[in-house]
Amino acid sequence: MRKLFQIALGIIAAIGGYLDIGDLVFNTQAGALYGYQLLWAIPVGLLGIMVFAEMSGRVAAIAKKANFELVAEQYGHRLGLLTLASSLLLTVLTLAAEIGGVGLALTLLFDGPEQTYMLLGAVVLLGVCWFLSFDHIERIFGYGGLTLFVFTAAALHFGPNWDSMAQGFVPESQSTTLYWYFALGLVAAAFMPYEIYFYSSGAREEGWTEKDLGVNRANAIVGYAVGGLLSVSLLVVAAEVFNPVGVDPDQLGTAMLGPQFAFGETGLIIALIGVLFAFGGAAVDTCFSAAYNLAQFQGWPWGKKAKNPTRWDISWVAFLAAGYVIVSTGVDPIELTEYAVVLSVVALPLTYLPILLIAGNGEVMGDHVNGLIAKTLGWAYFVLICVMTVAAPILLFATNGGGG
Amino acid sequence: MRLQAVSTALFTAVVLVGCGAPNGGPIKHDELERGVLSLGNAAGAGQLLTVGVIQDRTKTTFVRVSCRDLADEATHEAEKLQDAEADPDLRAAKAQAVILGSQIAAALGALQVAPKDPLIARDVGRRLDTLEHRATQLAAKL
Repeated sequence: MRKLFQIALGIIAAIGGYLDIGDLVFNTQAGALYGYQLLWAIPVGLLGIMVFAEMSGRVAAIAKKANFELVAEQYGHRLGLLTLASSLLLTVLTLAAEIGGVGLALTLLFDGPEQTYMLLGAVVLLGVCWFLSFDHIERIFGYGGLTLFVFTAAALHFGPNWDSMAQGFVPESQSTTLYWYFALGLVAAAFMPYEIYFYSSGAREEGWTEKDLGVNRANAIVGYAVGGLLSVSLLVVAAEVFNPVGVDPDQLGTAMLGPQFAFGETGLIIALIGVLFAFGGAAVDTCFSAAYNLAQFQGWPWGKKAKNPTRWDISWVAFLAAGYVIVSTGVDPIELTEYAVVLSVVALPLTYLPILLIAGNGEVMGDHVNGLIAKTLGWAYFVLICVMTVAAPILLFATNGGGG
Repeated sequence: MRLQAVSTALFTAVVLVGCGAPNGGPIKHDELERGVLSLGNAAGAGQLLTVGVIQDRTKTTFVRVSCRDLADEATHEAEKLQDAEADPDLRAAKAQAVILGSQIAAALGALQVAPKDPLIARDVGRRLDTLEHRATQLAAKL
């Protein structure tokens, strides 16, 4: 009974922690511009993150290795360093966007100087990361993020056209580059590398063993699946509210109007609290992920439960500070998010390959080596992300950074 | 080595696109069109804000901050267009776009000052509706 309760808590935290500013930006803009037409891209990204999250959790539990420990082992020094450098750059850019998002959410709730709220947000995150245990951090932000289900309630409130929605899950042939830019963005937003860095390192932090493979599967599959419902909800709300009037919700405030139209001021406040926790949680994830990567690559002790993880502690504080410095330059967090999401695709192949190789290695994984389904899906997605890696910069150029 | 060079070149190119690397010369048709559509979008988003105020189903601080953000966006776009050079065939459209941007910012500013007043919200909503239509018509001509 206790085990089931633990699994349930983990799933709930995974659901609430699924969404970040990248998901919010791409799902709402996709719904606003294309109605339901891009719904199909959400399960594509979702299945991919489920496959690799489950694999990385399994590798962490059996091989006792987190993602960047595998990178350090599998790649030569130069390739490993390139992978590390690109992952750190993109993770810190994402961190900056999340801190910016926290600042924006606080400003919308309380008014006042945006920069002050970004600084306040960064300081609170510093305190949370320093003083709270890994479990408490996960639970607080995970449970707080559940308030984002106000978007699901809003989507149902608007009474969407179910036929159109069903058709949206079937890809159409489209010739516009902007459509494919958003398709790529939706998949990439679900597939952000920092999610895997954090998931695999978190599994090691919690000391997962063979006994926890059920928990791993539940978190990766059930947790992400229900979390994916939030992405669908964001798109549907945007399709119902913004698409008919031709408005592109390029400001965070505009994106919050859906729950307000459904439930008034209460819906608005719940949505703002939800994004605050979602962005805050994602900021913690990205901050820790960057530090995990550096420490694992360098062979330093890492994690909140390690003995003397001084260099890891200094690293995450430094990355948090770097993220704040970036966003304090006045760069628009929403625009920063779009670039971070699309550019992160370039780092995906080097990130996921070591997991795929080790999870498929019978000598290391024993009975828990990839079965036929995991192997097929894993390699199919690897091909997909290689294609996305080539397509991402082309689409970014061709659409003028998503501006059309 | 080759992989690093290719990666560095690719990344640099992408960042330059993102930073809007100056391509020199006067503003092009599609750039002006994008600017005008951006202004129209700010007007459209502002209109949606007024609905909440009219129905008294929103939060005052939220309306104030959102108006400020949208007005800043419109002002920034107008400033960019004002500063850009234009060929003779685009000068009139550019000038109209700059005026539109200022008018949209002014309308949003009125709601920012009085975010709880439904009468002002109705008036702002009507103004933004007109301005959005003007932006759409101007973009269609480009």
